[in-house]
Amino acid sequence: MPTHRSHIPLSLVEGPNHRAASDGDLARGLIAGNAWATAEVWRRFAPMVLIMAARTLGSESEAEDIAQEVFHRLFRKANTLRDPDSLRSFIFSFAVRVLKSELRSRRARGWLSFKEPQAFVDLGSETMDVESRDLLRRFYGLLDRLAARDRLVFALRHLERMTVEEIAASMDISHSTVKRSLAHATAKLSRWLESDLGLVGLLQGKGWNA
Amino acid sequence: MTFSSGEPKGQPALLALTEMARENVQPPTRAQLDRGLQALSTRMAQERARRSTLLRWSLAGTMATACVVVGLTLLPRLRNGTKTTTAPALTYQIEGGSLIGGGYLRESGGAGIRLSFAEGTEFVLMPGTRGRLRSVDDAGARIAIEQGTASFQITPRSNGRWLVDVGPFLVKVKGTVFTVSWDATNERLDLKLRHGRVMVSGPISAGEIALQAGQRLAVDLQSARTTITDERPEEAWGEAATLPPTTNAPGERPSPEQPPGRTLAGASPSPTAARADGEHHWADALAAGRLDRILAEAERLGFKAVLEKASNEDLLALADAARYRRRMNLARAALLAERRRFPGSPLSLDAAYLLGRVEEVSERSLARAVAWYDEYLSLAPTGTYAAEALGRKMTLTSKLEGRLKARPIAAEYLRRFPNGSYAGSARALSRAP
Repeated sequence: MPTHRSHIPLSLVEGPNHRAASDGDLARGLIAGNAWATAEVWRRFAPMVLIMAARTLGSESEAEDIAQEVFHRLFRKANTLRDPDSLRSFIFSFAVRVLKSELRSRRARGWLSFKEPQAFVDLGSETMDVESRDLLRRFYGLLDRLAARDRLVFALRHLERMTVEEIAASMDISHSTVKRSLAHATAKLSRWLESDLGLVGLLQGKGWNA
Repeated sequence: MTFSSGEPKGQPALLALTEMARENVQPPTRAQLDRGLQALSTRMAQERARRSTLLRWSLAGTMATACVVVGLTLLPRLRNGTKTTTAPALTYQIEGGSLIGGGYLRESGGAGIRLSFAEGTEFVLMPGTRGRLRSVDDAGARIAIEQGTASFQITPRSNGRWLVDVGPFLVKVKGTVFTVSWDATNERLDLKLRHGRVMVSGPISAGEIALQAGQRLAVDLQSARTTITDERPEEAWGEAATLPPTTNAPGERPSPEQPPGRTLAGASPSPTAARADGEHHWADALAAGRLDRILAEAERLGFKAVLEKASNEDLLALADAARYRRRMNLARAALLAERRRFPGSPLSLDAAYLLGRVEEVSERSLARAVAWYDEYLSLAPTGTYAAEALGRKMTLTSKLEGRLKARPIAAEYLRRFPNGSYAGSARALSRAP
């Protein structure tokens, strides 16, 4: 049986290129509940959140949980975004709040637990030598002893290399509070570093003086 | 990188460690990002489904509630049909006077005025009484007594609505027989109820008062005194309008909760005393939050009679109402009566625990509270309030005798109720030095 074929020429129609959408357009798409905006927001901003969380917590797997929480909250509360063009800083502020909350919960769990909480560090597990991994684990162990705000300020300043002004804006605190927290965290870390003989030994092995 | 101003310098080790931490975080791969997006999408879809289910249930609940409300609103109308809106006003006849402007009832013969309604109700205004007929409709009438005495004999009807304004008071009536007087000069109200039930509202400290057959209400506004006495119905009907005596029954001492002038039931075989042993359904009133109503009714019946004759449930409801209104003497008396009169009942056990709660109100009787909790725990070791009683006992013992003495109780609490509401306190007590 002969098949009837249409003679109308066919052409492939490409959808709009969302990769090129501005942050403002992306935010507006998100507020409107467009599925493409959800995916594109994740693709564009998840790396930023994942990296920041991993550096702050010392764990890539925990960073994934944080990112899930940040974007889940973001998608639920997208309609509270007043300035669509500031989507990046909006997400960053969300991430900072979630991280702070996580750090506070960790400390609360530490107080309630009879055992000293062990820092779970899985950064660079495939590329680092054993001594370096041990150093990192001990370093994050010291960070775990800091108050949530001090630790977050320290991480944003020295691991994310943000300015005092940027930290103050994202954490919604004053410049002087940022500086005070920073000085507090640094002084404590220095003191703990000097008194941790195991860490001093490892540092000397690396040729660094505590 | 160096540490900036305000931060300690010369910390190469710290600097190196932060660099190491920074450099060892790799950006996520495409596969990791795809996995993350997939997980996020799944989580959001599940949440949407949950929210949708919740919304459906909420809508169903709202619809059901709306149906019930509409049904309850329409049911009385369906029962009554359209009679209520179309029925004509009651007809009546006036003897001994006439109705003039403003509904004023003008006496013509000096023998009083009689209003007879078609359905059998009669108002009789005694000679010299001034009154106004304010309104008449199909359900009843509203009359105002401005000065003097009037008697009312109202035919009981399911939809009857009769209102009597007596000076500043309002008497709401169903089927009943009563006489009311208002002395405008001395601002005295006197109401004697022969049959039925009336509600009196106005400038009375206790709010609305419900009067039962055989009771007499006297209010003296100038001395701010309200008295309710029980009288034999025939006396109440036949007496002149004078304020009643306000003395207690012979040989009777007022209880701490009893206002002066209250005639106590139980001193004589009065109708009220007979009713005090009836079922008042105070548990229902308590559940509906009508605490003051329970207390007012108990007061009207006489606390002593109620304590002696009220039912098991009513006594406990009265105790609860008194506790919630901080009338601890009355609450204690009701609970003790419960324990004395119904020693074997489960509510009597509850009363032992509640007596502990009552005693806790005063710092001076905390030891008595502990004794009641002990009593409860010995009688009902697995009872409803066992966890609560043990927790309270632990707390009070710690307060009265110190933590060391309370520790064994804390240990017992944790053993028996590890997830109880006092478990946190018990653990803290166990750990404390």
